[in-house]
Amino acid sequence: MGSSAKKKAEKKKDFQKPKYKVGKAKPKASNFTDTSFRSKAIVMNQQSLSTVAPDVVQQFKHNLSLASSSRNDKQRRDALAYLTSQLSSHPPVNPVGTNILLSKLLPLISDSSTPVRSQLLKLLRVLPEDEAKHSTEQAIMFIRAGMTHLSADISGDSLGVMEWLLDVAQDELVTIPGGWVKTLSTFCVTMGWSLASAAPGWTSAARTGLRAKDAQTLARQISILSRFLQAGLKSETAAAPGPDEYWDNLYRLPRSSNTFEYLNLLGSRRDEEGEMYPNREARQQVFYRRFFDPVTKGIEKVKKEGGAAGRAAVGLDQALKSGMGDYAAAAGMDAQDLLNLW
Amino acid sequence: MVKRKVAALEKIDADFASLQYKIRRDPKSYKDDFLKQWEQYEAQREIFFMSPTTAAADSVESFHNMIDLIAHVADCYPEETRTFPDDLKAIVSQNHETLHHELRDKVVGSLVLLRRKEVIDSTSLLTTLFPILVSSRSKSMREMLFQKILSDMRNSNSKSTNHPLNRTIQAVLYNLVTADRSSPRAIWAIKLTRELWKRQVWTDAKPVDVMKEACLADNEKVVIGSVRFFLGGDKEREELEDESSDEEIDLAKVKHQITINKKSRKQKQAYKNAVDKVKRQEKKKSKPHPLNFSALHLLHDPQDFAEQLFTKHLQSTKNKLSLDTKLLVLQLITRLVGLHKLTIVPLYSWFIKYLTPKQQSVTSILASLAQGVHNLVPPDALEPLIQKIANEFVSEASASEVAAVGLNAIREICSRQSLAMTETLLQDLVQYRKSKDKGVMMAAKGLLSLYREVGADMLKKRDRGKDATMGISSGLMKQRKFGEEEVGGIEGLDLLAKWKEEQRKRKRAEKGLPEDGSDVSGDEKDKDEDGFNSDEWEVGSEDSSDEGEWINVEHSSDEDEPAPKKRKGDEEDEEDNEEDSAAELERMTKLATTTILTPADLAKLQELRAAASVQKAMGSKFRKNKHQQNPDGPTHADDGLTAENIEAPIRLRKLTKEEKVALAKEGKPDREEHKSTQAIRKSKKDAAGKSTSNREKQRKKNFLMTLGKAKSKQKRSLVETRKVLKGHVERSTRGGRRRNGT
Repeated sequence: MGSSAKKKAEKKKDFQKPKYKVGKAKPKASNFTDTSFRSKAIVMNQQSLSTVAPDVVQQFKHNLSLASSSRNDKQRRDALAYLTSQLSSHPPVNPVGTNILLSKLLPLISDSSTPVRSQLLKLLRVLPEDEAKHSTEQAIMFIRAGMTHLSADISGDSLGVMEWLLDVAQDELVTIPGGWVKTLSTFCVTMGWSLASAAPGWTSAARTGLRAKDAQTLARQISILSRFLQAGLKSETAAAPGPDEYWDNLYRLPRSSNTFEYLNLLGSRRDEEGEMYPNREARQQVFYRRFFDPVTKGIEKVKKEGGAAGRAAVGLDQALKSGMGDYAAAAGMDAQDLLNLW
Repeated sequence: MVKRKVAALEKIDADFASLQYKIRRDPKSYKDDFLKQWEQYEAQREIFFMSPTTAAADSVESFHNMIDLIAHVADCYPEETRTFPDDLKAIVSQNHETLHHELRDKVVGSLVLLRRKEVIDSTSLLTTLFPILVSSRSKSMREMLFQKILSDMRNSNSKSTNHPLNRTIQAVLYNLVTADRSSPRAIWAIKLTRELWKRQVWTDAKPVDVMKEACLADNEKVVIGSVRFFLGGDKEREELEDESSDEEIDLAKVKHQITINKKSRKQKQAYKNAVDKVKRQEKKKSKPHPLNFSALHLLHDPQDFAEQLFTKHLQSTKNKLSLDTKLLVLQLITRLVGLHKLTIVPLYSWFIKYLTPKQQSVTSILASLAQGVHNLVPPDALEPLIQKIANEFVSEASASEVAAVGLNAIREICSRQSLAMTETLLQDLVQYRKSKDKGVMMAAKGLLSLYREVGADMLKKRDRGKDATMGISSGLMKQRKFGEEEVGGIEGLDLLAKWKEEQRKRKRAEKGLPEDGSDVSGDEKDKDEDGFNSDEWEVGSEDSSDEGEWINVEHSSDEDEPAPKKRKGDEEDEEDNEEDSAAELERMTKLATTTILTPADLAKLQELRAAASVQKAMGSKFRKNKHQQNPDGPTHADDGLTAENIEAPIRLRKLTKEEKVALAKEGKPDREEHKSTQAIRKSKKDAAGKSTSNREKQRKKNFLMTLGKAKSKQKRSLVETRKVLKGHVERSTRGGRRRNGT
């Protein structure tokens, strides 16, 4: 808005009708000089010109940084698309390595724009599986944060990422510290299967009127949970002992991501949630103690509701039965019980 | 942390504020949502702890939001959020150096919020925040923490004193001060103690102990802070108290406002608050005044403290305190010496070196010296000092100001220990009363009048004056010996006695008896009060007992009247005037020993004392030269001596412009611009919310408006005139008001 009279007048000028005059134009003055010119080339003084385009590595890094830190969501999506195309080419171009790539891009799981999230999922799908395995611990953290996000869209999309992780690294997922218990409790909380056994007499009346979208999400959550449980509770078969195993154990460098993790040499002291549960029995034990009741109750409730969620719940029920069928509740003393005695 | 743009849909979706509101309204129903957010918080915390230093802005922001939400609803789910306070404490105490500043502030704010919601207690909050305050390198953080700590201390002491908390914090402060004497960290202990002392949250000996330890620190800043506390902390406290009691609320005004303005709930609330406040103030007024001892009185073992201060900061040659600091320390030491009558003999010889006119801020050194003298200081220690002051300052060659300062200093010292003066020196110094300079002349006169009171026989005969000469000749006036103490009395008791005497005379006059039959009276009341044995006079006097029903039980005179006094009462008439007055004085002082002072008496005593002091301050002719030295009014024994007192009195000093202006303005109405007195009065009236009077309205009425009435008055018929006149009479019966409708 123009403040001064001058500015106002200037603005007014735009809307004034020009007065057209009929007749000849005013004759040019006798000393008139025509200063207009035409040229075939324009010369610019300063210009960075190079004959080669920025190389692929530079472009990749540039796009990576754009994807992880640009404020414009279109730019983020485009950068992700570029990265995806680079990774899916043959041979895949990845100058920074999967681990760094993931550590930069995983925070985008809870990105606010939907196209960015879907593009991220596409990118994750083209990552080489055996390399992505090593970032499981990081990935599950962001997935948990995404699943519990206040926005329903984000939590729905992060289920897709969870699916990806189950495809890629299901064994690592259930064995890493915190991977089993924390993820399970996240699932329970997002589905509203309350963990703390509520005070007797009152049932909380959450999830009455389900919207169609909610029901869909619930079905998806249940199906993914059943996959997760299958992964965690599947029967383990001991690998056939090879002849070199003894010597390998002694002399070869370990090849898994964090070999001595179970010793927890550097981290802080873990509680029950953050503990790692390396074998099936341990997982069964902790599952039975903490999640069995709420999950079975939840399954019953969803089954009664029927629909897609009900069908998914039947699948979950089956997974639970096959996983926990051979577990005897009182099979020996648990370490946690011993600790609780203190 | 620039906020990323949020899409409109998402805004509705991810609205923490509305979720928080819903949860707080109905915690039970929203428990599932809360649990989800709690999981989110856990996940965010994990992500954050993965790399607390290099966290991206986004993750910091979402963590910030989660902390905010959970802190606000933590009291609704105490079981679920059990670990939350400890998490926050861990975050802020481990990472406060590296945290993003907004997140850091949020964590601290959330902890304080949890404290307000009574989720955690003050002790755990303060023991978390205080170490951070001490060690943080960020100024804004320290400022915030200090504010939070202070307000929490005040809040937890507001209803009643929270002794356990105070003890804990005081112990923490004490340890902080004593742990490392050379570190500047102790400054925070000082700041906190000083602030809490000022606000009367802490009034006991323990904070004084903390300050005492801080005084003995090696760090100069710490020393300055703590010494200033002792020198000025109590004054600060008094000033704050005065300030807070100043604001008065005019209830009538508030009430009136309500009748005028629109009625609203807000106004009602405001009125209620005002009533509450007034009630609280009344209650506060009627409460007994809290005993607030000054910090100097609460010191434990002042002798040892003063000695330590002296040896550590002044006597030792190693320390590198600046002169200003040294002066402060010196002030504190001498104040302690004067107040508690301590004996530090090396202190006086330490002064010698500094007593030259060229010494920087010598007046304050002289003031310190004077306030460090009391009647138990050996005169031998002071004599060389006085000699040196006299030699260096007081001579014909030195400037007049210098001489005046020297004389004043000598007078101040001698008023505290008169035995330090030698006869020849005194007679020399007194000669300066003939000086042409007014400052020197007055200083010398002050010294002279001082010695007329305390040691007149050291003066030459012609200088002694009438009172002193008579006193010496009658043997009443003697110089006090070293260590001799004056007999104590109740201040103003003579005033009370005089007043009682006058009252009795007045009463007698009312009854038509001779006024001067002072002690021998038939009045029963007198007898009761003074217990004079005057039974034989009673026959003559008409007993007009107005208080008929009252039976006065007489004391037996032997019980409460000492024998010699009775005799004196009988013989009084025959004695001459002088004797009479002396005896009177003696009797007055005995008032307290012979009668029991009732509360009414004590109240009267207080009143008389106040009146006397006002009269003294007003400068009436009763003013004694005893108070000449401080024109600002009488000083209390606890107040220290300042350089101002030593320098020439304020009247003699050249006034600065501001002082002159202030002096001229005194007692005049304040005017911002040049206006007539009338205009000022009117604007004052306007400011007080008063409108104009009827007379004023009449006077100001437009002339043209009055014209019509005047014209019509002339044309009125007799009937109309009668009606008007009747109406006037009728109105006058109703207070001048018209009826409705006319």
